[in-house]
Amino acid sequence: MAAAISIHGLTKKYVDVWQKQEVVAVNNLNLDVEEGEIFGFLGRNGAGKTTTIKMLLGLIFPTAGDATILGRPMGDNNVKRELAYLPEETYFYDSMTGWDLLDFYARLFRIPEPERSRRVQLALEKVRLQPEAWKRSVRGYSKGMRQRIGIAQALINDPKLLFLDEPTSGLDPIAHAELRDIVASLKEEGKTVFLSSHQLADVELICSRVAIIHNGKLLRTGKIKDLLAGERTEIIVQGRELGNGMLQKLKDLVPVVEPIYDHTEADDALGGVPTDMLRLSSDDFEKTTAVIDLVRGVKGRIVSIVPHKRTLEDVFVETVRKEDGV
Amino acid sequence: MVALAIANQTVREALRRRVMWIFLIIGVFLIALGPVFGFLNPRDSQVVLKSLGLAAILLAGLFITIVTCIYLIPIEIERRTIYTVLSKPVQRYEFVLGKFLGGFATVFVNIAAMGVVFLAMLWLQTPGHHVPPDMFKGIMLTFFQMLLLAALTIFFSTFATPVVNFFLSFGIFLVGNLSSVTDSLTTSRNAIARGVGTLVHYLLPNFGNFNIQNSIIHPQIEIANANAFMMQSIAYALIYSAVLLILAILIFDRREV
Repeated sequence: MAAAISIHGLTKKYVDVWQKQEVVAVNNLNLDVEEGEIFGFLGRNGAGKTTTIKMLLGLIFPTAGDATILGRPMGDNNVKRELAYLPEETYFYDSMTGWDLLDFYARLFRIPEPERSRRVQLALEKVRLQPEAWKRSVRGYSKGMRQRIGIAQALINDPKLLFLDEPTSGLDPIAHAELRDIVASLKEEGKTVFLSSHQLADVELICSRVAIIHNGKLLRTGKIKDLLAGERTEIIVQGRELGNGMLQKLKDLVPVVEPIYDHTEADDALGGVPTDMLRLSSDDFEKTTAVIDLVRGVKGRIVSIVPHKRTLEDVFVETVRKEDGV
Repeated sequence: MVALAIANQTVREALRRRVMWIFLIIGVFLIALGPVFGFLNPRDSQVVLKSLGLAAILLAGLFITIVTCIYLIPIEIERRTIYTVLSKPVQRYEFVLGKFLGGFATVFVNIAAMGVVFLAMLWLQTPGHHVPPDMFKGIMLTFFQMLLLAALTIFFSTFATPVVNFFLSFGIFLVGNLSSVTDSLTTSRNAIARGVGTLVHYLLPNFGNFNIQNSIIHPQIEIANANAFMMQSIAYALIYSAVLLILAILIFDRREV
C-alpha cells in the first residue's frame, strides 16, 4: 500500500534569542503512514506531536529532514486541497454562525455555489450537529458542539488525509463516543487519519497502527495487535508445601513467581496449618495448565485464575518509563 | 477569491470591535459640534465647520485605522484561528492581502460614514446649500492617507506585537506629517542632522503630502496645479502601500505560526 505520509529525519530545534539554549522538539523522526489507515500518534504533553503536525502542514518549518504527503512535498499548497486539520483546542471566528463558518472554509477551497451549500449541509449532518444550531453563533456552542463544527470544517473538502489533534478531549461520554465513531467511520470511506490523542482506549479501538513519540524521539511504532500481543494469566495459588522444593519447579514453568505471604497465616481449608500463597504469571496456556496440575498434585488450592489482556496504556507507560529509566 | 473571502470575514470581525465604534462616535460627535463652534464665531463659522470636520475625520480615521489593523494578524495567531486557514490551500500572500483589504474596507466604511455626516452638516449650514468640491478632495486624500497608514500597520503586524506596532505606526504617522521639518534637515549644515533628515525624509512615508486642509479652508491659499497634486498624492499612496504590502508578504512567508 502506498504511503500517505512519509517522514524522513524530520527535526525541529528551537533556540532562544541569544542562541544559547536549544530545545529539540522533534528529533530525527522517520515514519510512514499508509493510505486508508487510522494511525495513532501518541506521546505525552510536549512530546512533539503537534510540532510534527504543524511541520507537515507547513505552519512551521523543519530544522532538518523532509516529508512527503500524498506523494508531494510537505507544505505544498496543492496537496492541501486533499488535507484537513483539526487543531487541538479549536478556536473559531465565534461571531459567525456554524453555517457561515463552514461556508467561509469552503470558500478557501474555492468551492462554488451550489456545491458549497451542499458540502456545508453534508458536513453538518455528518457530525450530527443539531439543525437548530446551524444558524446560531458559534460563540454559544458547547465544547462538544465546537468539536463537531471543528470536525465538520475538516470534512468540508472531502479530504483524503485528515490530521486530527485530540478530537475527543474534554467531551462528555456521549459526545466522546459519537465523535470517536465519526472518526472511525472515516476509515470506511477510504480516508487516512493521522490521529494524535491521549485517549489511548480510543486509539486502541480505532487505530490500526501507532507510533509513540517521547521528547521528540520516536520510541516505538507498529501494529496495535503486535504491540498488544502477549496476553498473560495471573494465577494465585495456596498450599502447605509450595514454599519448599515446589517453588523451584514453579519458577521453571513460569517467569513470574511472587510470594503473597509465606508461612504467616493458617488456613482452615487446608487443615488449619500455615500455608504459602503465591502469585504466578503465565503467558502460555500449556504452562498455565501445568501449574494447575502441579499445585493440585500437592493438594494445593487454586485461589484465582485471571487472564490479563495488555492494553495500549500498558504498552505506552512501559515504553515511556523504560526510556526515562524509571 | 480566497483573499476576498478572508477580507469579508475580516470586516465582520473588525466591525465587532467596540473601540472602533467609540472612535467613530467621537468623530461624528466632533463633526456635529461644528455648527455649535461656528455659532460662537459667526464671522468664521464656515472656516470652523470645515476645519473641525476635516480634522475630526483625520483624527478618528487615524485611530480607527491603527486599532483595526494592528490586531488583524496577531489575533489570528494568538487565537490559533490561523491554523484552520493556513492549513487549507491558502497562500500566505492571499492571507496578508485579505487581511489588508478587510482592514482597509472597515476603515473606508468609517471614513465614508464620517464624510457623509460632514458633507450633510456643511450642506445644511452653508448659505444656498452649496458644498465646495474641495471638501470631497479633502475627504478623498484622508482616505488615501489612511490607506498608506493601514499598509504600514499591516507591515509591522507581520513581526511586531500590537503594542509595539501601535507606537511604531503612530510615531511614523506623526514624523511623516512633519515633512517640512525633515525636508529642512536634508539641507542642514550638520552632517549627522543632514544624514538623519535625509534618511527619515525619503525612507518614511510622507503623510504630510495629503494635508491640504489649509488650502481648502482658506481659499486664498492656492495649490499650484491642484489636479496633478491630487493624482501624485494618490499614486504615492498606492505605490508606497504596494511596496509595504510586498515587504509584509515576504516577512510573513517565512514566519512560523
